Amino acid sequence: MREHLRELWHHRELTLSFARRDIKARYRQTALGAVWAVVQPFSLMVVFTLVFSRFAKVSSDGIPYPIFSYTSLIFWTFFATAVSQGTVAMVANATLVRKIYFPRETLLIAVILSAALDLVIATTIFGGMLVYYRTALTLTALWIPVLLALQTVFALGVICLSSALHVNYRDIGHGLPLLLQLWLFATPVAYPLSLVPAALLPFYLLNPMVPIIEGYRRAILLGLPPDPAQLLLATLIVLVVTSAGYVLFKRAEQTFADVI
Amino acid sequence: MPKIAIRFDDVSKRYRLHRGWHGSLRSAATAWLRRLGSRPGPEDVFWALKNVSFDIEKGDAVGLIGTNGAGKSTILKILSRVTTPSSGRFSTRGRVGALIEVGAGFHPELTGRDNVFLNGAIMGMSRSEVAEKFDRIVGFAEIEKFIDTPIKYYSSGMQVRLGFAVAAHIDPDVLLIDEVLAVGDASFQAKCLNKLAELKEQARTIVLVSHNLANIVEHSKKVLWVQAGTVAAYGDPDTVVDQYLKSIRERLTSENPADVVSRAMTDAERPIRIEQVTLCDRQGRVRPEFQHGEPVCIDIAYSVHEPVPDPVFEVTIQDAHGHALGGLTTRFDGLKIDSTQSQGIVRLILQPVLFLKGHYTVNVHIRDHQIQRYHDFRKRAAVLVVEGPSVASREVSGHVNYPHQWELP
Repeated sequence: MREHLRELWHHRELTLSFARRDIKARYRQTALGAVWAVVQPFSLMVVFTLVFSRFAKVSSDGIPYPIFSYTSLIFWTFFATAVSQGTVAMVANATLVRKIYFPRETLLIAVILSAALDLVIATTIFGGMLVYYRTALTLTALWIPVLLALQTVFALGVICLSSALHVNYRDIGHGLPLLLQLWLFATPVAYPLSLVPAALLPFYLLNPMVPIIEGYRRAILLGLPPDPAQLLLATLIVLVVTSAGYVLFKRAEQTFADVI
Repeated sequence: MPKIAIRFDDVSKRYRLHRGWHGSLRSAATAWLRRLGSRPGPEDVFWALKNVSFDIEKGDAVGLIGTNGAGKSTILKILSRVTTPSSGRFSTRGRVGALIEVGAGFHPELTGRDNVFLNGAIMGMSRSEVAEKFDRIVGFAEIEKFIDTPIKYYSSGMQVRLGFAVAAHIDPDVLLIDEVLAVGDASFQAKCLNKLAELKEQARTIVLVSHNLANIVEHSKKVLWVQAGTVAAYGDPDTVVDQYLKSIRERLTSENPADVVSRAMTDAERPIRIEQVTLCDRQGRVRPEFQHGEPVCIDIAYSVHEPVPDPVFEVTIQDAHGHALGGLTTRFDGLKIDSTQSQGIVRLILQPVLFLKGHYTVNVHIRDHQIQRYHDFRKRAAVLVVEGPSVASREVSGHVNYPHQWELP
């Protein structure tokens, strides 16, 4: 494990090069360019506001629904983009994987870095919305980097597992969009955690994205810290998933070139 | 005591055979259920390498030869760490650079400049190292003018040149080269060969794979011959290449020519048939071997089952790897063949045979008067073995030694 991490550190420039490539290539030959990074969470916010707030009258803990959902959507989009692109990263770079050796997780980290740039772009509009809805940030905003770190580590663990599986079983590529959609609804993105029935909570909280997404809203919009017990449980699950995912990934990596 | 740069110690590599499907959960589940009952049979795996051991000394250039599927690529893949051995151990000392598929890491949407940095990083160079060598790389590839154009607009030749240029500047301790000396036009190839010579002078360790045996002999200090996943021979280039060629020759001659006659043609489709092809000298003695410069008679015995107008006899000759070296027809030389006789012999005299030492396959065809349709054909009808000047000496190259003389006028 330590050996792997040392080698990964040794390849940090390669990781950055892959990230740079992904970012530069993503919006080449598009008219809107980086605006696309905003379009996705923003249009989802508009749809959610119409469907959940106007039609279904879903509560949003007293927060205006547009900013309630946009807060969760930008961070959820970061997660979903990282997972959907990370899962196929090995196969998308099959020629490289077949021909040249480098620690394969560099490709996964590059995907996360380029998704993070989209997050940064999407937050520019978010700043405008905070001003529009007269929401003042409090000291609890300091929780954002903590939640972001936890979310990033979790995304890495998930794609370690899913990308290694995808090399061997292309079924993953087909099932993933469905899984992400279900996952979106199993996470309090469009609705508050307070709407989840108490009986379901023990299972519901096994999803580490629950306290993370809810935590962003508490920290940014409500001026409250995340629920400590929930966050601790999520942290434990994330650590288990990611360390197991990384170990399995490094083991599977040895035969990627043979089966990809 | 010379330092060992590469060591293979009893290395084996096993591949699982995938039968037609690409991995899917369903097939994995059924395979797993099947395995509950019995262990996977030996037919499910393929041994690309079996108990391979060898050492390569630091600063040596080693050529890797063998027929397709012998295990050359697997050795390179293990050396470059793209795949791991199933058993056994290997070690390499220093930075390993692979010139395996130049430009594998190129992204079509990015500019030449971006791709140089990206490819450099993939090959293990730091950003500052690429920046320092950037001008030399671009100059080597001869694409200064297009360096800020996305490479999807490059010609394939430009892409290959750029890929090679990056790879040639990695400065690794161990360099793996797979068939890449065949890229680009003649002047670019000469540049590549000079780069290779330069690396050799710097005492880099080089592993070279090529089907071009002359290149192998010229650039290698030792040659490793792999066959069916094992080391068949390892040592002096001339000796090993000679053994390798001999084994190919034996395999060719051991094949019964009758087996090779195309079964695609039925007897009815062959109004005139090749019965036998023999190689003999001017005295008509059948000979297993000929000296370079000696006349060779190729006797084609045929039988006629149905007269055809003006059949044309054609002889083509190929080298051991199947490359065509030349073909002659009776029509070119104005020879008319009378197909009213029930049988006969057509003799082609090569006077003299100009081929270099080696073995060459002789194919014989009988074609219609327009040289369009085949009346009969026989691939590998005979094997012509020539003794004489050899490419192993490096004093001659190619396949043919023309009648010539040098002068100092």
